Amino acid sequence: MNPKSRQWLPKSAVIAIFLLPLLLISPKTYVTLTISGIAMGMLLFLVASGFSLIFGFLSVLNLAHGALFAWGAYISFSAFSFINQWTGWGGSNSIFSNILIFLLALVAAGIGVAILGVVTERLVIRPVYGSHLFQIFITVGAMTVMEELIRIVWGPNDEPMPVPVSFIGSWDIFDVVVSKYPLIAIVIGLILYLIVFTILRRTRLGMIVRAGVENPEMVQVMGHNIYRYFTGVFAAGSALAAIGGGMWATFVKSINPAMGGEVIVFALIVAIIGGLGSMTGSVVGALMVGLSYNYVAYLIPKGALGITMLLLVIILSIRPTGLFPEGT
Amino acid sequence: MNKDSLNPVQRFRLKEKEGRFRSPYFFLKVLLLAFFVFTPYLFHSFQIVDVVLKIIIFSTLVASYDIILGYTGIVSLGHVMYFGIGSYFVGIFMGKLGLISYGYLALAILIAVLISGVLSVLIGFFSLRIRAIFFAMVTLAFMEFTFILASQLRFITGGDDGISFNLPGIMAIGYRLGRFLGIEFTGRMTNYYLILLVSLILFLLMVRFVHSPVGRVLQSIRDNEQRSVALGYRTYLFQVMASSFASCVAAMTGGCYAIWVCYVSPSSSLSVSIMLDVLLMVIVGGMGTLYGGILGAAFLMITGAFLPKLQVLVAALLPGVPFAVRLSERWLFYFGLLFILIVYFFPKGMVGTAQEIISRRKGE
Repeated sequence: MNPKSRQWLPKSAVIAIFLLPLLLISPKTYVTLTISGIAMGMLLFLVASGFSLIFGFLSVLNLAHGALFAWGAYISFSAFSFINQWTGWGGSNSIFSNILIFLLALVAAGIGVAILGVVTERLVIRPVYGSHLFQIFITVGAMTVMEELIRIVWGPNDEPMPVPVSFIGSWDIFDVVVSKYPLIAIVIGLILYLIVFTILRRTRLGMIVRAGVENPEMVQVMGHNIYRYFTGVFAAGSALAAIGGGMWATFVKSINPAMGGEVIVFALIVAIIGGLGSMTGSVVGALMVGLSYNYVAYLIPKGALGITMLLLVIILSIRPTGLFPEGT
Repeated sequence: MNKDSLNPVQRFRLKEKEGRFRSPYFFLKVLLLAFFVFTPYLFHSFQIVDVVLKIIIFSTLVASYDIILGYTGIVSLGHVMYFGIGSYFVGIFMGKLGLISYGYLALAILIAVLISGVLSVLIGFFSLRIRAIFFAMVTLAFMEFTFILASQLRFITGGDDGISFNLPGIMAIGYRLGRFLGIEFTGRMTNYYLILLVSLILFLLMVRFVHSPVGRVLQSIRDNEQRSVALGYRTYLFQVMASSFASCVAAMTGGCYAIWVCYVSPSSSLSVSIMLDVLLMVIVGGMGTLYGGILGAAFLMITGAFLPKLQVLVAALLPGVPFAVRLSERWLFYFGLLFILIVYFFPKGMVGTAQEIISRRKGE
């Protein structure tokens, strides 16, 4: 394949996934499904981007990412309940205070899990840099410990996630049902994507991280303490996962300690499809998975996961390194 | 025969043959086998026999996983999937289809083995080609997929409730042969010895595989992949071979497990938590040792069987402290910590560390 058609392939794949279902689904349902698909894609992007960046930069397959995601959901649950008890913002009808409390809960989750991520990286992962085998074991161990800690702290059962009043329900625009929360999730996801993208593209810090994804030794040669950046990237990835966790919990309206296990598999698939270590790849992969999942779930309810696996198999056999190269 | 004209594999085998019956390890193995054979006579409680049989099954499963992990050096996170396929085929044939006969039992296991082999070859072909680390991710994704498939396809797999079934003839639980050397010989006993025999054969097969020329190549790939490529081996073909062999063995052990418990469900034979157990067993026992799996499985199964009693003790000692009770309930938490600590301090596991100490003594 020449370089031009290589750039063309991911775009055409996304467009095909966008448009093909129109043949089978009526336009109104299609719009509803597309919006929830994009929302799901945005949430997946938050989890997968951190996972992918950590793999690209640290070359650590972080299987504890799902547990960090669950921690994010639980911390945002606690923060939300705490602030709500104190101010009552979550139950009030003003959309402004609703959004404020939601964002505060997400920020609390992000900061809390970023600290957890720093501790994990320093204590658990640092001693085994360079050995893939032991990294996998260590992160599996860390995943178990973190998941069990959730069960110890919050109890082993499912909890209903509180949702701000004005996030519930849907708008009716020209007979098309548009749920409110997915739109909010899309907006927050897009803002976060733009922030991450700008940091990676436009700042010196981002430049160093992108260089590190391609060649960590060279960054060290240039006089940067790469371990500090490792910790930073791990913390940022954890924070993104945590925010994703909080938003996901509001989406499905319940939390349970094992919720990370299901999501980590999606994150894995998204990261592999998009190309490990690629931000653009994560967002494209997440949209592809989110959209195809929603369309197929509507057409064949039990085949939704199958299409995700099919996508993975197809992409891996055409382009084994994913749609986008590292560091983009 | 001139010793110099032999290749390393033949030399190893010759050395092994000479010292076969003199080595203390040989007697240790015979002793262990004798223990397994006489367990039903030594312990009359069903609970202990159950734990011992699960140790046998899981040590075979762990040994098969060790072929991938310890001898080939690639990480599969979906090995339990094949175990689950084995269990499910027995469950579906015996329970859902009601085809209770020896022939169909054998057929079920045969189909499971074939499907596992083909599936692992396919997964291997499109994920091992690029980077061995992809293999870990893709196998994990496939395992999660089969888990969800098993819990969703109610009409075939019985969903989350699973399938419980009966076995044919002398394997049925209700079967009575009569008293024999002081214990009643029931269908359970038949199954015990059948599974012991199958596991023994599988274990010997795996030992043979590891010491075969293919096994040697696998170890060379594990130690230095680039060098093996330079020597002209298509490394990924060998990796695929190892993974499919191990998967077939895992499917057999899965079938055995289903025969023993007469029940199959997603959480009992396909879940990620079993994968975690298997990983922990490999780490505790030692990677690349095969026999380490027996120790690892014994450790985990025995602690797993007696930890609930500890929990009752804690609840009795500290009544009204819900946090302490919760802390004692979560034994997986301690396993996770143990896991991390073992990887730090004893990365070679029990058998590996012991081997190291022995060889150091010999060297001095």
